Amino acid sequence: MRWQPLHRRAALLCLLAALSSSACARQDRRIEQHQQAFQSLSSSTRAILSAWLAGVTSGTYTATALEKTLALIEENRTALANNAALLVDPRGARLADAADHLSRLVALLIADVRAANAEAARNHLAALPLDRERR
Amino acid sequence: MSALLDLLLGIVTGIGGFVEVGSISTSAQAGAEFGFQLLWAVAVAAAMLALLTEMSGRLAVMSKRTIAAAVRERFGIHFQAVPLCAELVLDLLLLTAELGGAAIAVKLLTGIGFQWWVLPTGLLLWTTLWFSRFSIVEYGIGLLGLVTLSFVLAAWRLGPDTGDVARGFIPSLPSHDGVRYAFLAISIVGATVSPYLLNFYSSGTIEEDVTPDERWVNTATAYGGDVFGSVVSMGVLVTAAMVMQPLQIKIDSYEQAALMFVPAFGRWAVGLFAASLAIGCVGAALEISLNMGYMLSQIFGWSWSANKPRVENARFSCAFSFVLIAASALAVLGFDPLRLTMISVALTVVVMPLMVLPFLVLMNDTQFVKDQRNTVVGNAVLAALTVLGALMALVVIPLEILGG
Repeated sequence: MRWQPLHRRAALLCLLAALSSSACARQDRRIEQHQQAFQSLSSSTRAILSAWLAGVTSGTYTATALEKTLALIEENRTALANNAALLVDPRGARLADAADHLSRLVALLIADVRAANAEAARNHLAALPLDRERR
Repeated sequence: MSALLDLLLGIVTGIGGFVEVGSISTSAQAGAEFGFQLLWAVAVAAAMLALLTEMSGRLAVMSKRTIAAAVRERFGIHFQAVPLCAELVLDLLLLTAELGGAAIAVKLLTGIGFQWWVLPTGLLLWTTLWFSRFSIVEYGIGLLGLVTLSFVLAAWRLGPDTGDVARGFIPSLPSHDGVRYAFLAISIVGATVSPYLLNFYSSGTIEEDVTPDERWVNTATAYGGDVFGSVVSMGVLVTAAMVMQPLQIKIDSYEQAALMFVPAFGRWAVGLFAASLAIGCVGAALEISLNMGYMLSQIFGWSWSANKPRVENARFSCAFSFVLIAASALAVLGFDPLRLTMISVALTVVVMPLMVLPFLVLMNDTQFVKDQRNTVVGNAVLAALTVLGALMALVVIPLEILGG
């Protein structure tokens, strides 16, 4: 049986549709993975800070743990920024902005802990983005 | 009485081999991401390790040879070159991760970068190995390792629902992220069934000169020690599930992992976590360094024993000193210990068939194990492990890329 041009076109269209839907699904998954990673790091920041504010953990541990969290946020931000397709997507762009905000807040929190300034830390903690507890 | 004391100390020492950087990180990640759902993987891995350690001890008691020496004798150096190289690379990676883990534990308390603590930790390990007998290394670390029971205490204080915990022992499909679930299940097996443990256990049996009449001590130590160690691993998983999962925190660093003790221990949390991590890592690092010295000596026919003065087995002493220097140098470069651990446990699964297959032959060779050959059940388990190991090896690299 020989394929008519119409059949060929239909098959090509189906193939293209399948490929683009798989690419979309992959992109959705990547955005979701980045979102989960940032949410986890934001929740971590809250938990680390809350323990310090409650007087349970030392300033040394808190600053160390926040520095590591900041390093992980930066790693994820770089991974997101290196993917142009994700940044073009409005969800990816919003996530990048929130991650940028998160990164700056964690840096400020490190400074607050070093200065033993609990009040400033509380204020900065209240503004933490991507935090499930806050939402 | 002496045999009973040996048994008790041997069981306690089970913690030393079980609770280290690999089992702490894989169990903590599994608990934080999937709750109690991967408890079955810890139980399966513990059962596998118990069977393998009992067999390695039996081989040593009956043949007076360690696994490395027996494989060398039975299959020749050409066959052994591949598993030997694989195990040496794997052990070096694990040793680097353990050194990094111990250094991070000090960092948690001092705030000073972990690379600064790698060389002092390496020096402490080398001094301990150089000046101590085997029993001091084994039992000393085992007794200090009791601090890791704080994971069990934490789980108990958090009061998990026993029904939920019991359901975790029944394998079930995850509600989300199946790839990650599979990767963590395989990693738990890789972290638990470390090849170094088997040769170290058989070398220890020879160091302690266990006779065929005392074989029951070997059996009871292997099973009792692994049950004891696995309870601690389960404690890590349950604690992480109770504390980290509700907060939706995935564990990407040991600094985050320390938080899991906060609800149970309050002000003591970070100190206890750091002590557990440091002692677990130092214990495993001592065992890995000694094992690498043992393995090289046994394969090349050098004199070896941690009980003899170092001058009487200079090449053995140089071997463990060299691997400690090499691992310290790698750790100082600043590789993230948690990531290194996850890579090395995945690689463990890849090389597992290479280790288990010759073992299956040895455990049925009357020249080595005399009348203590494996039963049909033992052989079935080893054969299943080889096939399962080969299958896991085929999927673990794609899983490492997709889910790691």
